[in-house]
Amino acid sequence: METVIKTTSLTKQYHGKNVVSELDLSVPSGSIYGFLGPNGAGKSTTMKMILGLTKPTAGNISVLGKPVNQQNRIALLKNTGSLIESPAYYGHLTGRENLALIASLKQVPPEQIDDVLRIVHLDNQQEKKVSHYSLGMKQRLGLAAALLGYPKLLLLDEPTNGLDPAGIQEMRKLICSLPARYGMTVFVSSHLLAEIDQMATHVGIIDNGALIFQNELSVLHEHSRARMKLLTTDNAAASSLLKQAGLPVVLDRGGLIYLNSRKPEVILRAGRLLYESEIGILRLEEEQKSLEDIFLSLVGRSI
Amino acid sequence: MNTAVQQNTKKLRRPAAVEFQKGRRLHLFLIPFGFFMVILLWSVYASKDPSDYEKAQGYAYLFFEMPLLNCMTMPLMIAVLASRLCDMEIKGQTLKLLYTLQEKGSFYDWKYLHEAFYLLLFCLGEGLIFPLCGRLFGFTETLSIILVIRHVAVAFIAGTVVLTLQHILSLCSGNQILPLVAGLAGSFLGLFSMFFPHEIARLILWGYFGAFVPYSMNYDEAARLLSFSPAAFPVGEFAGFCIFGVAFYLVCRSVFLRREV
Repeated sequence: METVIKTTSLTKQYHGKNVVSELDLSVPSGSIYGFLGPNGAGKSTTMKMILGLTKPTAGNISVLGKPVNQQNRIALLKNTGSLIESPAYYGHLTGRENLALIASLKQVPPEQIDDVLRIVHLDNQQEKKVSHYSLGMKQRLGLAAALLGYPKLLLLDEPTNGLDPAGIQEMRKLICSLPARYGMTVFVSSHLLAEIDQMATHVGIIDNGALIFQNELSVLHEHSRARMKLLTTDNAAASSLLKQAGLPVVLDRGGLIYLNSRKPEVILRAGRLLYESEIGILRLEEEQKSLEDIFLSLVGRSI
Repeated sequence: MNTAVQQNTKKLRRPAAVEFQKGRRLHLFLIPFGFFMVILLWSVYASKDPSDYEKAQGYAYLFFEMPLLNCMTMPLMIAVLASRLCDMEIKGQTLKLLYTLQEKGSFYDWKYLHEAFYLLLFCLGEGLIFPLCGRLFGFTETLSIILVIRHVAVAFIAGTVVLTLQHILSLCSGNQILPLVAGLAGSFLGLFSMFFPHEIARLILWGYFGAFVPYSMNYDEAARLLSFSPAAFPVGEFAGFCIFGVAFYLVCRSVFLRREV
């Protein structure tokens, strides 16, 4: 699959401290790439570097198959749309006038303004001054501006920030429809795991500036394999017994035993060992590891 | 060849047109117009009911007085202009979007030229005050068009150098209070620099509005009469100021280009 964004050892330092370190991103064409990480992980800085707004300390960036440099940056970005951090707008102008400015700079026909206004459902509010827009409307206007010219690549930095639940759902639906409707690749960042889970086809997880996971979302889901939760008459003794027998067992802080396997032979062996040691099994149940748990195990803290 | 020229013209016209589109509904013309009216009313008031003696040197008086007025008013007007035009980018956080659509340098230059356009309108308006007052009060002195052009040019060039400072201050300040205070302080400093020794006065940027006055004033205490005599134009000093202005612009521009959004 063709790669739309590729970074190699991308690094950004501020005051000698790595904000982004050795990032090797690979965003396949036609995907919705969810860029996930806690606040301050380096998501916005990475996106700014991809757009040439911030100069990398080290590393290379390729966008749409071409290495980005100061000479070709603007030409390359003609095929991209972006919404970074918060929507950019001129409050004293109407929504339509704002888009007309962007259309002029992007050199796209003004007729497209009507189309993008319709796509983001702002066609009824287009003559209103943007300073009178709600945050959700401003966010949609920002997305409309990014969509002008129907770019091949869309970079959206936390696009649902500040939206109400209905707005979040609407924005999510819209983003999900873009690759199929317009053949776009969407690179979307978020600090919300559930959001990425509902939108993305591919996911990259960044923490403290380093990429700790990158693959298809389905691969991440594969990590969420089930395990067996075990409650016995003496959990501590049971845990040490099973561990000694070489079974994949974890005793959590709450005193519960987790058997990290669903293989019948492993479960049978564990049962037999406990029986032989006269430790009673009170409960044995299957537990699916949530994406939240996987993230927790990857970054070492919740998101 | 023609197509290449047309394309280049289009390329240049686009950011200029966008800059002017951004200024819609801001009533930016009111800023130079308001300050122009202050200068006009002051000049009319100062020239009213002239005696024959005053009519004979009416223009010389205006050429002497107007640069002093510019020292007081233009720094503030320039600060307001720059602030009004740059604040829309700061408030709307538009830089991160604009830099994906146009070069940083292009944005910086066109914004500056947009501000300079209103400055030019003001200076041209000032040039009209001379014939206006002359006709209104019947000055008998001959109006030197060369001096009018020189006045407009000096006011505009001194204005563009001050604008360079206000431009970068306004673009780099999250809050426009600082650039406006700088403009206000410049108005005072510019005026006070008239009373400083020449060497010190030349160190004050805002004082240059009054540095190239084409007349010097003499006061005959016995007769209690003001008279004006032509002063030589300090070509070297003016050229030095212009070179400084260009260098100052380039330095400020490079500082701005290095800033990340």
